[in-house]
Amino acid sequence: MKVFGKGFTGGWIVQDLGNGKVEWNIDKVHMGWIVRGFVEGKPGRIEVFRMKTPHRVLAGGWQSWSPFRVFKTDGYEFSYQRSWMYKDTPRPELGNILSDYFFATDNLVVGFLSSKTAHGYFTLEGDEIVGWLDYFDAHFPNRIQIEPFVILEGKDTSVLLEIYASMVARESGARFSRRSPIGWCSWYHYFLDLKWEDILKNLELSKNFPIEVFQIDDAYELDIGDWLETKEGFPPVEEMANAISSHGLVAGIWTAPFSISETSRLFKEHPDWVVKENGNPKVAYRNWGRSIYALDLSNDEALEWLFETFKKLRDYGYRYFKIDFLFSGAIPGERKKNMTPVQAFRAGMRTIRNAVEDSFVLGCGSPLLPSIGYVDGMRIGEDTAPYWSKGKDDGRPSARYALRNTITRYFMHNKWWLNDPDCLLLRGKKTKLTSDQRELYAYTVGILDNMVLMSDDLELVDEDGKRILEETLRLRGGKPRVEGLMEPDEKYVVKSDGTLSGNTRIEVDLSKGKYEMTVEEYSYLKKEKVFKDGRIFNFYEEE
Amino acid sequence: MQELRFNPLTDEWIIVSTATQRRPVQPTEVECPICPGGVEFKDVKTYDIVSFENRYPSLRRDAPELDFKEKGPFRKERALGVCEVVVYTSDHDSSLPKMPLDQVAKLVKVWKDRTRELSNLDFVKYIFIFENRGKEVGASLPHPHGQIYAFPFVPKRIEAKIDAMRKWFERTGKCPICDVIENESWERTVYENESFLALVPFYARFPYEIHIYPKRHVSTLLELSEIEEKDLADSIKNITMRYDKLFEQEFPYMMMLFQAPFTRDEISHFFHFHLEFNPPKRDKDRLKWMASVETGTWTFINPVLPEEAAKRLREVKI
Repeated sequence: MKVFGKGFTGGWIVQDLGNGKVEWNIDKVHMGWIVRGFVEGKPGRIEVFRMKTPHRVLAGGWQSWSPFRVFKTDGYEFSYQRSWMYKDTPRPELGNILSDYFFATDNLVVGFLSSKTAHGYFTLEGDEIVGWLDYFDAHFPNRIQIEPFVILEGKDTSVLLEIYASMVARESGARFSRRSPIGWCSWYHYFLDLKWEDILKNLELSKNFPIEVFQIDDAYELDIGDWLETKEGFPPVEEMANAISSHGLVAGIWTAPFSISETSRLFKEHPDWVVKENGNPKVAYRNWGRSIYALDLSNDEALEWLFETFKKLRDYGYRYFKIDFLFSGAIPGERKKNMTPVQAFRAGMRTIRNAVEDSFVLGCGSPLLPSIGYVDGMRIGEDTAPYWSKGKDDGRPSARYALRNTITRYFMHNKWWLNDPDCLLLRGKKTKLTSDQRELYAYTVGILDNMVLMSDDLELVDEDGKRILEETLRLRGGKPRVEGLMEPDEKYVVKSDGTLSGNTRIEVDLSKGKYEMTVEEYSYLKKEKVFKDGRIFNFYEEE
Repeated sequence: MQELRFNPLTDEWIIVSTATQRRPVQPTEVECPICPGGVEFKDVKTYDIVSFENRYPSLRRDAPELDFKEKGPFRKERALGVCEVVVYTSDHDSSLPKMPLDQVAKLVKVWKDRTRELSNLDFVKYIFIFENRGKEVGASLPHPHGQIYAFPFVPKRIEAKIDAMRKWFERTGKCPICDVIENESWERTVYENESFLALVPFYARFPYEIHIYPKRHVSTLLELSEIEEKDLADSIKNITMRYDKLFEQEFPYMMMLFQAPFTRDEISHFFHFHLEFNPPKRDKDRLKWMASVETGTWTFINPVLPEEAAKRLREVKI
């Protein structure tokens, strides 16, 4: 292994980068080594790490939807779709990206502990894996800290990933609500066909379920960027919140705050608020049949608009914000101020957090490490779907691969944020998921102690769906660990001790959509909570 | 006044809580505040096991806001946390050694549930379950009960344990308690069942100190299976019965449960959940004082050979 092109040595080392300078030091930490240092000038892209490529690696892209799985390095090829080129990395043009932020192999984890200024990633160069810190075009007249990185070894990969996640949480300042709400989301049944009548119907039906948060997804808004205006058939945004709150539920709303459609009123009024390329608006991605630009989060006026938008939504009564397609805020390009895309992204995230105060923020389509400290929950896989799988494992919607990421990224949960495994689809009709697949998805989510969100026309959730939900909720509360992360056959064992149902274990075979679960026979005590003179009394007795 | 103050000489937090001064001390039996009908349970005829927030807490969910500006070495924080009393039974005259085994097993379930619930509070960093038995260790009520402190920081001795266990793991690749269990001999064992080992440790600080170690590596109570819960209850009952029988009295002790902090998963592979019983007596009548050497230097002088204490406790017929 080499660090900054050198073998491991003691003491501080200073290296001239041509346009800048880096100083670094390596220290022993529990289970490995940590590299810290400083950089100044215009460093661009710095090589920080190099090692002989192992036969297989557990690796994945920079954001929520990126597949995170085992790759054989022999014959590995990086590919991307032109219209979604930044979905998996902010540097698609390099063509040899292996993993962003970190990677693992048998008994080894190598990764960056934060992404506050630079983007850290790993490329495959011949028979070597090379780690980079990318400062893009930013210039630093004064020295700043580099993103620390660690090399951890000597234990099982799962244990090392848990240790790595804890170190990242501390270094990146993780802060999130540990209260995991049970929610409903409109997307996976209604998609863009959602009507206001559907909302009213499901609000009524939600009384039959333990739902706490009711979140309206994509479909209500006038355009991407025009979040405070609704399209025909929907009441004003404020009234939508009131309708939800009047049912005793927490009002939730979907936005894609760093995305601006070419057709939006926002873009027409402020064409200069977007990230540019050669002086022209740069397309971050194409969706909804339109080109989508990225909000320039280095622009103070754009940040002020962002703050006011979210402040208004909070004032209207929303307390749960699903913020989506966030990667667009961190794409490379020309911005108003001298800052890296990561710094700009974090300025945007900070602005939203400040505006919504202590509301629950759920990130989606989001770069992972730079979001730590700003979100309460985070989607950690591709979109699920009312079918098991269709087509390639490249981040497109499917229940199979959404669940795969939920399993392979389990170690982030409760350390960086609450993992959002995407919604449970429990309806028995208008779905191609079999009963086994619905159970497999839900029970794995429960055992992993993840967020539980539903997305069905509640009228179609029968007694069987309700049973699955009830059992899923009773599988939460334990300490999960996944075995078999490095195996390439999509077979995993998830164990969790101390769930509400006792010690549990589920063996899943994603390729077949099958599972076997063992739940301890566990007896409960009945608990009654009584509030007396401002104090809580818990009375326990046998059931 | 209720606040946390930082001690830069020892890198530790002190809880300043003047409310605890008002706690009742050894009231008469008719005044027992935690019996059914007592001050805390006025309208309650009976109960099984109850946990409730202490009337005189050192830490509280709604800790007072501070009007204080940090100056030099002087730092304060809000005394956020939860202090609960866990009443083991409605029977005033019972105790862990006298309680039916099923009742102790239920108590273990309650500890688990309290641990789970309290660890979900955002401000909680460490959960400490304990019982002070007897006036020698400051127990203010004879009715069988223990306490739970949900701390907003990881206390100093817990940090010391974590550091020591980490150091051992880095040196040997083994959790130190797993290593002890592997190498322990019968001469310090007091009691053993399928899942737990109770022993006077090789490194006992107090005379008649007993540790209870789960044989399986778990870092928190939550991970125990139902069979292990019962075996833990059995170990606790067995040990406390031996104490009372050997010394022909309700032998005082401090019982403490040490779990890994819930917010620090990176230590679970070397932190082994365990219990300590620290009795303050050196024999039937004499106290082992926590005097200058023990308090000032954390160095303990144990006047009883651990192997001898273990032999005496092991040979008690219960």
